Amino acid sequence: MPAEKIDLSGVPCPANAARALMRLEGLDGGAELEIIIDDGEPAANLPPALEQEGHTIVGRVRAGAKWIITARKSQ
Amino acid sequence: MLLYLDNAATTRPDNRVLALMAEIDRHCYGNDSAVHVMGVAAAKRVERARLAIAACLAADPDEIIFTSGGTEANNMALSGAPAAAGPRKNHIIISAMEHASVNNPALRLKAAGAALTLVKPGRNGIIDPAGIKKALRPATALVSVMHANNETGAVQPIAEIGALCRARGVLFHSDACQSFTKTGLDVKEQHLDLLTINSHKIHGPKGVGALYIRKGLKLPSLLAGGGQERGLRPGTRNSSAIAGFGLAAELAAPAQAKKVAALRDLFWAELSGRLPGATLNCAAAPRLCGILSVTLPWIPGAAALLQALSARGVCLSAGSACAAGKTTPSAALKAIGLSDAQALRTIRVSLSRFTTEKEIMLAVKEIAALAGKGKGRHAR
Repeated sequence: MPAEKIDLSGVPCPANAARALMRLEGLDGGAELEIIIDDGEPAANLPPALEQEGHTIVGRVRAGAKWIITARKSQ
Repeated sequence: MLLYLDNAATTRPDNRVLALMAEIDRHCYGNDSAVHVMGVAAAKRVERARLAIAACLAADPDEIIFTSGGTEANNMALSGAPAAAGPRKNHIIISAMEHASVNNPALRLKAAGAALTLVKPGRNGIIDPAGIKKALRPATALVSVMHANNETGAVQPIAEIGALCRARGVLFHSDACQSFTKTGLDVKEQHLDLLTINSHKIHGPKGVGALYIRKGLKLPSLLAGGGQERGLRPGTRNSSAIAGFGLAAELAAPAQAKKVAALRDLFWAELSGRLPGATLNCAAAPRLCGILSVTLPWIPGAAALLQALSARGVCLSAGSACAAGKTTPSAALKAIGLSDAQALRTIRVSLSRFTTEKEIMLAVKEIAALAGKGKGRHAR
């Protein structure tokens, strides 16, 4: 099943993490969420904020001035 | 028993909203700009509200800027529009029945050299889109027409006005503080560039509102400060109030508007039965579910009217709440053709989803008893 996606380009910290966490809340345990996020502070701050809530970061791919971060929802 | 029929001035906060706000203030008080766990927790509350409010407007969440209320949002829209519209755009059009928070920023623009056109409503309380079309000029930067009038409840044809503004490349703003969640709002279908809403008219807390700003539109900020709200509204957000606003929007449902409209119609049926000399203003117009504007046949004097009703336990307004205390006739009522004397004899009865049939019947009895005292006397 393709992963859910959320584009958080331009969304500042920590609102980007807040929106990613809200989206993860709506997914089943183990489901993955692909998050498009700006380079710099957003890409640095988002993964630890999700990990702190028990989710796992399973992918980080740079795409120009953005990153695609894949998070797996905690079981 | 107090009969609160002044819901167009403000509403009773929903208990669920109050409980949420108290919980946030006690346990989730981190600064929502901080990246630590307390900041993220507060940001979740704020972003949930942003998503909920955007969904009510068919807008993108990033198009919602939280403000301290409707007044600030209206000021941002009006004062920023000429700069946003581009060079040589120095003409503003507003309706002649706007709230003071639209009217007065427009007057400031005029004092600073802009041209200002006021378009009057018809006797039915409605702004004719043809009147707006006629007023448009090549230099027009902005048209601002409220969605529903705060004194008469008349719902304006903003989709038509928005369409003709969009066709002419003119920015369109609407103050929807009275109508938000009560009648249809869709920023795309209504061709809105800017839209003002607030919280305390929908059973949320006071001191919070929002401005919808269409994506791509660059509006200057009123304040200089930090980067909150995309730099447009710097200052630490009132996260509990914003969350309360979001929950209030989530709790509003279309079925509630039908119930309120039924009580509004019951009020008029009962009052007009007891006071045949009373008239319902803008009766032929599409009207908001919760507002009635009634011109009474007799009052004990303009200054004494509200006190006399208040002494009978009836809390309502004569003219808009912002003008309360003054006995000058309402400009909005005069704009629909009422004389000074008629405007001063006019009351605004405004309901909410908490209003009951019993309250309506008691209020009708008290108002009819007061205004009926003038039977046989000439209307003032």
